[in-house]
This record gives sequence, structure tokens and C-alpha cells, in this order.
Amino acid sequence: MNTLAWVGRKVGGALVVLWLVASAIFIAIRLIPGDPAEAIMGGPGSQASAQALAAARAEYALDQPVITQYLLYLGKLATFDFGTSYSLKQPVTQVMGEVLPNTLWLSLMALAAAWLLALCFSALAMRAGRIGSQVGNLLEIIAAAVPHFWLGAVLIMLFSSALGWLPAVDNGTGHGLVLPILTLALPLAGFLTQLMRDSLSEAMGSQFALAARARGESRLKLFWRHGLRHAALPALSLTGWAFSSLLSGAVVVEAIFARPGLGRSLLSAVLARDIPMVTGIALFSALVYIVVMAISEGIERMINPAGESR
Amino acid sequence: MVIPLAHRGKSLLMQRNSRSSRILAGAFALPLIGALLASCSSAGSTGSSTQDAKPVTGGTMVYASGDAEPSCLDPHVGGNYPQALVASQFLESLFTKDSEGKIIPWLAEKTEVSEDGLTRTITLHDGIKFTDGTKLTAEAIKKNIEHLKDPNTASSTGYLAVGKVVRVEVKDELTATLKLSSPDNALLESLSMPWTAIESPKALERDQATNCTSPVGTGPFKVASWEHQKAVNLVRNDDYVLPVPNDQRANSTSYLDGITWRFIPEAATRYAALQSGEVDVIDNAQPDTIASAADAGLGHLDAPRPGSANRIELNSSKAPFNDQKVREAFIRAVDANTGVGALFFGTAKRSYSLLSSVEPLGYSDEALFGTDTAKANTLLDEAGWSERDAQGYRTKNGKRLSVRFPVSTNQSVPAEQSLFEQFQAQAKAVGFEVKIDLLDLSSWYGALAKHEYNLVSAPYTKVGPSVLRVLYHSDSTVPAPSGYFANNAQVKNDKLDKLLVQAEETEDEAQRASLYEQAQKIVLEGYYVLPLYDQQNHFLYGKNVHGVGATTAVSSPIYFDTFLDQ
Amino acid sequence: MSRTAKICCLLVIGLWLLMALAPSVLAPGDPLAINPTQAFAKPGLAHFFGTDESGRDIYTRVIHGAGDSLAIGLAATALGMGLAIVLGTIAALSPRWLDEIILRILEALYAIPSLLMALLIIAFTGPGVGPAIVAVGLSTAPGYARLVRSQIRSLKNSEMLEAATVLGRGTWRKSRNHLIPNALKPLLALVTLGIGQAVIWAAALSFLGLGTPPPAPEWGAMLSAGRTYLHLAWWMSLFPGLAIVAVAVSATLIGRALGGKVKSL
Repeated sequence: MNTLAWVGRKVGGALVVLWLVASAIFIAIRLIPGDPAEAIMGGPGSQASAQALAAARAEYALDQPVITQYLLYLGKLATFDFGTSYSLKQPVTQVMGEVLPNTLWLSLMALAAAWLLALCFSALAMRAGRIGSQVGNLLEIIAAAVPHFWLGAVLIMLFSSALGWLPAVDNGTGHGLVLPILTLALPLAGFLTQLMRDSLSEAMGSQFALAARARGESRLKLFWRHGLRHAALPALSLTGWAFSSLLSGAVVVEAIFARPGLGRSLLSAVLARDIPMVTGIALFSALVYIVVMAISEGIERMINPAGESR
Repeated sequence: MVIPLAHRGKSLLMQRNSRSSRILAGAFALPLIGALLASCSSAGSTGSSTQDAKPVTGGTMVYASGDAEPSCLDPHVGGNYPQALVASQFLESLFTKDSEGKIIPWLAEKTEVSEDGLTRTITLHDGIKFTDGTKLTAEAIKKNIEHLKDPNTASSTGYLAVGKVVRVEVKDELTATLKLSSPDNALLESLSMPWTAIESPKALERDQATNCTSPVGTGPFKVASWEHQKAVNLVRNDDYVLPVPNDQRANSTSYLDGITWRFIPEAATRYAALQSGEVDVIDNAQPDTIASAADAGLGHLDAPRPGSANRIELNSSKAPFNDQKVREAFIRAVDANTGVGALFFGTAKRSYSLLSSVEPLGYSDEALFGTDTAKANTLLDEAGWSERDAQGYRTKNGKRLSVRFPVSTNQSVPAEQSLFEQFQAQAKAVGFEVKIDLLDLSSWYGALAKHEYNLVSAPYTKVGPSVLRVLYHSDSTVPAPSGYFANNAQVKNDKLDKLLVQAEETEDEAQRASLYEQAQKIVLEGYYVLPLYDQQNHFLYGKNVHGVGATTAVSSPIYFDTFLDQ
Repeated sequence: MSRTAKICCLLVIGLWLLMALAPSVLAPGDPLAINPTQAFAKPGLAHFFGTDESGRDIYTRVIHGAGDSLAIGLAATALGMGLAIVLGTIAALSPRWLDEIILRILEALYAIPSLLMALLIIAFTGPGVGPAIVAVGLSTAPGYARLVRSQIRSLKNSEMLEAATVLGRGTWRKSRNHLIPNALKPLLALVTLGIGQAVIWAAALSFLGLGTPPPAPEWGAMLSAGRTYLHLAWWMSLFPGLAIVAVAVSATLIGRALGGKVKSL
């Protein structure tokens, strides 16, 4: 498959996925019992004024036939018009635009940190003996099992309250990023290390590796030259998944560390039943996921053009 | 719709302590804080040796709020407490409260009311300017009251407060007359609240979205920018004029260059940030951290809110609480004192009144609320709930004695939620099944509007005893178009209605006090309400922060006198 | 799997089952019993894990919480897996166009991060245990479904199936007798891994105040209550947190012992 066709296929697939997500949300709004206008404005008890309800009806064309509503809705989304957040009274795209860089930056840094930690762990594990390797194995599994919300609280207690080494919230120096990044990166590093180890032991046990060892190459050198590439590939293909799990983690981490971001916006939007905001963020994170997936696949194609197709 | 969308943090710090510290703080701070403290109600403040430090100009204070970030900084729109907290820095009101709780003029210079009580004349101070350069004139009063009454503003708190004002006439540049539909002795109290603060009429002409992000007032600070989810940035108003001047701060502006107003909803994170010095002041302080503040070298400001006390209301419009015996049985069955003591670490003082302890006309009767499980059991037997089912709950005609208790996670802090869980367990011992539903705000309002509650805790902040009319007059059982009603106890009592209306219209102070006392007795003795404690309003600040203590009439702190060690 | 590993796995499963089904054997007290005068007691002999703000015994609550927390994890995983089996089987056995459609649907589900999906569902339904289960179940379904699909596809061409086709069995019988059981084996490992994750996600929702409401002794809800008192009573947060980690670690170890790989999640 040539590159152009590949890109075309990816874009087409992405559009279909986005369309499905958007349609699911559209159907969900209509499935909630009661007035969809009220649902858009925050559900019963939000005490939306008659005017606000009328405005919502007009904005979402609720007086039109359902199919017209659906087409209008898709038309708006196609032009990146996610409507107006009813709780913030600002265009959803504007709110997302303001907070998105924070979340992306945090997630990218956490991803990088997780990769770094995972590489270090794997290299260490190569050198460790049988017992050390077992212990390492258990530690990875534990790291992967620690919930973000708990880890974040523990890190604050330890490094901020008790030791006073690191700030709990951002104070403008950038040190405030350390704890949130660690909170996100540690569990992910646990996952990645487990993964790399599985493929690493396969790779190191392979015919090629055995032959190289027989030629007298050191284990560590072999790890860097040969094992790593094999270990990294499956982990790389999981980058999309990892990124998506970081976005989940960001909801919790942004709440705990009081960082502005997509996750925090989403949480407050959910609590306020701010459907336009929730819709916008869901669609947007789907888009981000698709883009990251495509990029990581692209990188895989470059590293491994022959590509055992997955 | 209602006022205290977010009241968080609970009442008085250890009473004895708080009393003495309040006096002490007042005495030491007086020369320093001067007229402002004298003219605003002062609240108990302990901690850093404010009185010794010499004021220094400069520095930006970082404030961390535990409340949800307001969607609009203009407290006219909606009107909740988080809005009041931040708006108190950049907006001012026509009136305020002095340290004895008396209403005194602030932006207003003087005021008088006509014989029939239907015309209120207000004269403004000369020479005060809004931060957009507009001069403060009578026209501003007119425009602000019209703004509050305009349905497009969607004001709820301020709207109710000026409900009796029919129209405003401009008599001359500085004098306005307010025409009332009926006499209203609570009007000045109403006009002392940040929800009716005076904004620049020119700024009010902008569209609402713009005005929400940068309301323009006459306060010691002004809004420089608002980075959503991050901070509201306030800077010093260099042209500030203290409406009521005093020797020390006659031509002063604030010591602080500005305030970074942040939102850190996680209580533990907020406190950790204060401990490590990343923030200077936090609100909604947790009781356990307040109790250990002094040991941690932190200052503490205890500023209980005016209006109602925090209390549980018993819905008397439907079974089982339509029977006074069952209401009293519930109240006698629970042990609030032990729970309040343990959960609030002595920072909240038990209340036996409908009104906040800062309300001079509050009436208290401890004898009505003593825990007495034997009496509770007898009352329930008498009321016919004499059978018990397999789980130990009482029944009557095969129906279980079950009550629903929707609890708002916005309105009830964790300690209060825990207290309610304790009530649940204690009420079970005499045979009540209490079903607690923890709800987000919109579901909670929904449950109330649909009458799906037997018990509810819904504090209401308002200056003055007229809050009683909002909460207990039978008119308040009639839902607004949105379904909201304030009389959650569903008290419908003709005598009470008459007393509340009369109390609001009389010009005689002594009569007013006596009428309100009779009214409060009717509600308390009818066991419609279980009072708990004042609406808690605790602030903690670092040892580098001085001059904290002055507040508005609704107990929201003003940081005009505050300064930081350099 | 070695004999020792088998015994270990069985022991661990047995312990969790005991906690979930008969918690009173390990902790005879009432997890809801309050004792305000004993609030915030430190861990000690009287209260192994200390007490919470209302004087409830945390050890008792952690043990009794296993039932709720595991039930939520299991229910969510069951839901996700049920959905996955249906979608995965249909996709694998369908003509290419239907397979493509289902694949896109799975991708759409997969494209929304788990917790965001959960929050999205809760935005519509309101918070509660039911929505939390549905949310976690739905968000794990696509991962399982892909595996089911690829398992069945690889089995589809296997000899066993050819034999069955030669014998003239219908598609449904083929599925029931051969495909589904064979696809299920590796899924078992994956499910075990998934239960651990489901418990964590459900706890995260409770922690955000959107799952099980207090005072139920669910671990996430206990953590949510404990975080308020982090500075005063660390034990309120430590022990429920450890319980969650312990479940997730057990699930991972057993899942791996069964031959599961993390990457399939």
C-alpha cells in the first residue's frame, strides 16, 4: 500500500469513527426521558429559565423533524461548532482551546517519563539476577495496579506536606508539574515495562540473539542493539492506548493537583450536566486518539516498513 | 436559584476561644485597620501577630478557593457565595455592617425613609469613581436596581433582595429615591449584600458575557483578567477612595499589588499548598486543619455567615413528618452534639436557633433539642408507629417509618455528610429508616422541586432576620416557575405569616425584635427544624500574611488592609 | 502452569471469595456501626486499621468492602465481555462489510478514553452504582471484542471447523460447539486482568463522587471520604488503597499465570 492510499484510508476511517461517536451522543440525548432541551440545559432541577430552554430549542432545532435536527447537528460539528457551554456561557471550542495545551503537555510529558522509566527498568531487569528480576516483576505489577487518585494523594502527602520538596500546585516555576507527571507516569511505566519485558525475553531468547551471544556480544550490548528494538515495537504500537489512558488519568490528576485542563473541564461539565461541553470534549478526545494512533502507526511503518501487518 | 450554592466549611471555632480571640483581634487590629474594620463587621481572627507587623506595600497575594469556579463574576447574575467572596474585592455596596451588626452607610452617605415607609431616599458620597472612570452618581443606583430586576440578568439573590422596590427616581446627581410597594425595614440590610453591589452603569451596558468576565466596581481592586480554571487576576485600584475615610488610611489604596484568585477544589491539596507557601490564603478550610492551624503557625479567620443557621428541615407537608410527634421524635433521637464536636474538632458551635449567631435578633432555645431516645420512642408509640419489622424499623399499618434525605454534595461539606450518616445510624436505633441520597446540585434541586424529600439541609445566606420570611412564610411554599421554593419545612401557619409580614413593615425596633422572636418560637416549638451550627466560613492564612479580618456584611473578607512580609 | 503457581492462584482466589462472600468470618463487626467518641483512632490492637471520622472500624469496612468492590468489577467485566462476545463473534463470522462496520463501532468506542466514556454516560444518567458498572463495562468492551474477533477468525479456518462444515453443521452450531469455547480460553486470562482494571476504574468513579455513595464500605468511596482527612488520618486512605492495589495485583498475577499478556488490554 503506498503512503497516499494509507493516509487516505486513515482519514476515511477517522471520519467514520467520529461520525459514529457523534451519532451515539445525538441518540443518547434523545433517549433520556423528558425534554431534550432540558437535558441540554442541565437536566431537571437545573432550573433553566423558559428563555434558556427556548434558546436551546432554537440552537438545536428541536422543533424540526429529527432527521433535520441530526443533519444540522452534524453540519455544525463538521465546522467545529460544538455549541455554547451552558454552564460557562462560552463557545465550547474556545474553552477547549484554552485548556487543551495544558492537558496535552501534561500527557506528553507523562508519556515521555513513562517511556524513560520503562526503558530504565527493562535495562536494570536485564542485569538483575533471578530473584532481582522476580522482585522487579512484582514491583512493575504493583506500579501498574496503583490507582492515579490514590498515588497523587500519597505523593502530595509525602513530597509536599511532609518533606516540602515539591509544590502540590503549580507555582509558576514548572516544579508543580513534577508530581502530576509522576502520578500519571508511574502506573503507565509499570504497564510498559511488563510489556517490554515480555517481548524482550522473546527477543533475547531468539535464534538471532543466541547466535550473537555465541559470537561473544555482551548481554547489555545485545539489549541495546537488538532487544530494545523488538521490545519497543509492541510498546510503541500501544502508544495510542497509552495516550488514551493518560487522558483518563488526567481527569483525576487535574482534579487533585488543581490544574486547568480538559479533564477538569469534563468533570465539572459532567457535574453540571453541561451536555454541549461534554459532547465537545468526548469528540475531541476521540479525534486526539485517532491522530495519535495514526502517528504511532506511521512511525511503525517507518521503523519497520516491511511490517508484519497487525 | 438559591443563594448559598456553595456554603462550605462550617461554623464557629471553639466558642470560648473564638469569643476571646475575636475581641483580641479586634482590639489589636483597630488602630491598624481603622475605619474599615470598625465599619465592617469583624470576625474572629487568630494566628499571626498581625498587630506587631508594620504594613508594607507590594506583593501579590495568592488566594485559593475551594468553591467551584463561578461561571460569572458579576454577583448580580445568579448570586451565590463564591461570587460574593471574589466580588467583595472589586465591588462595594451602598451599605455595610459595623462590628456590632448595625447597618451603616458605605457608598451611601446618608439615607432616610418617608413617613409611610414607601419612599427611601439615598444620598451618595461625592468624589467616588468606578474603575472605568465613570463617576458614582444616583443614575448608577437606578441602573443597578434595574439590572437586578431585568429577567435577562437572571438574578435570583439580588432580585429577591430588591423585590419591594418598584422603581428608582433620580432626584439630583447624588440623590436617588426608591419607591417601594410596601414598607421594608430590611431594605438597607438587603442593599448591604454583595449581590446588590453597585457596578458601573457604563459597564452594565456591555453584553452579559463580557460583564461576567470583568465587572466594574468601586472596590480596592479591579479585575485584570480571568484565566478560566486557573485564576482570576485582581490588581490594585490606584484611584481607590475609601468611602468612609479614617485618619490612618485616608488617601490609601490597598497594600497589595494584586490578588491571584485560584480555584483548588481538593481540600488536601489546598491545605498542602498553603503549608508549602504556594498560596497565602485558603477558604473552606477543613475542620481538622483549622483545629491544628495554630500549631502549624497559620492564621485563622472565622467569619460565620449571616442569615439562617445550618439546619435540617423536616418536610411537614407529608407523612410521616406531618405529625409533630414524629418530627419531635426524630429530633430527640439524634445526638448532634457529640457528632458536631468530633467531626468539627470544636470549630463549629452547636446552634439552637433558626438564625446565624451574627444575627442580633436570633432566638435560641436549647431545651427543645436535647437528645432523649426514651422520649423519642414514647412519641413514636403515641403517633401510632408502634410495630417493628424484621429489620427493626417501626411500621404503622404495614408501612415502614422511612424518610428520604437528599444531601447536596455542593452544599454539605464532608464533615456534614458524615454527621448526617451518624444521624442515620442514631435514628435507626429508635426505628427510623433514613435514606440518604448524595446528589449533585442539579439532581438535588430536582429532588426538592419534586417533593422527594422528608429531610433536607439547605442553608440560606441573607443579611438580617427578614430571611425568616423567605424561609417560613407560607408564600414560600408556592413553587417558582422553575419549581424552586424556599420553605422546605413547608410551614403553613397564618399567625406566623402575619408576624413575619408585620415584622418587616414596622418602624419600631423593639416591636420588630419582639415580632421576630414570636415568629421564631412558632417554628422552633413546632419541631420543623433541627438547628445544627452557623454556616461555616473559615479561612486560613500563612504567617507572612497580616491584616486579615475585615469583612463585608455577608462575612466575606476584604483584603484592603492585608499585606505580606516582603 | 506449575503446581505451586496453581495452588497460589487458588489460595488467592479463595481468600478474595471468602472476603466477598463471608466477610464476617474475618471481620465479625458491623461495617456501618458508628461510634463518634472513637473517631479517628490510630491503627492499633483495638482497631487494626484505625477508625474513620464516625468511629467506624476501617479493618471491618475494608473486609466487608470486598463484596461491593469485587461485585462492581465483576459485573462491569461481565457486561463488557458479554457485549464483546456478541460483537466479536458477529464481526468474525459476518461478511466483510458488516465486519468493517462493527470494527468501526469498536474503534469509536475505543477512541474515547475509559474514564471519559464513563463520565459521558454519567452525564446522561446521573451518578450511581448502575451507571458506573455500565460505564466501566462499555469502555472495556471494545478491547475484549477485538480479541474475541481475532480468536474466532483464526479458529474459523482451523481443521476442527472444516471437519464440522464437512459434516454439514449449521453456522450457529459451529459457533456454539467449537468457536466460542475455543475463543473463550485466552479470554479467561484477559478477563482476569480486566477485573483488576475494572475495580480501579469503578473506584475512581466513586472517588470522584460519581459511583457508590458513602457510607457503604466500597473502597473507592472510602478513599473519597479519606482524602478529606489526609492530613489527619492517613490510615483512612492507606488501607482501602492497598486493598485496591492488592486486588489488581492478584488479578494481574493470576491473569499472567493463565497466559495473559498485558498488551491485549
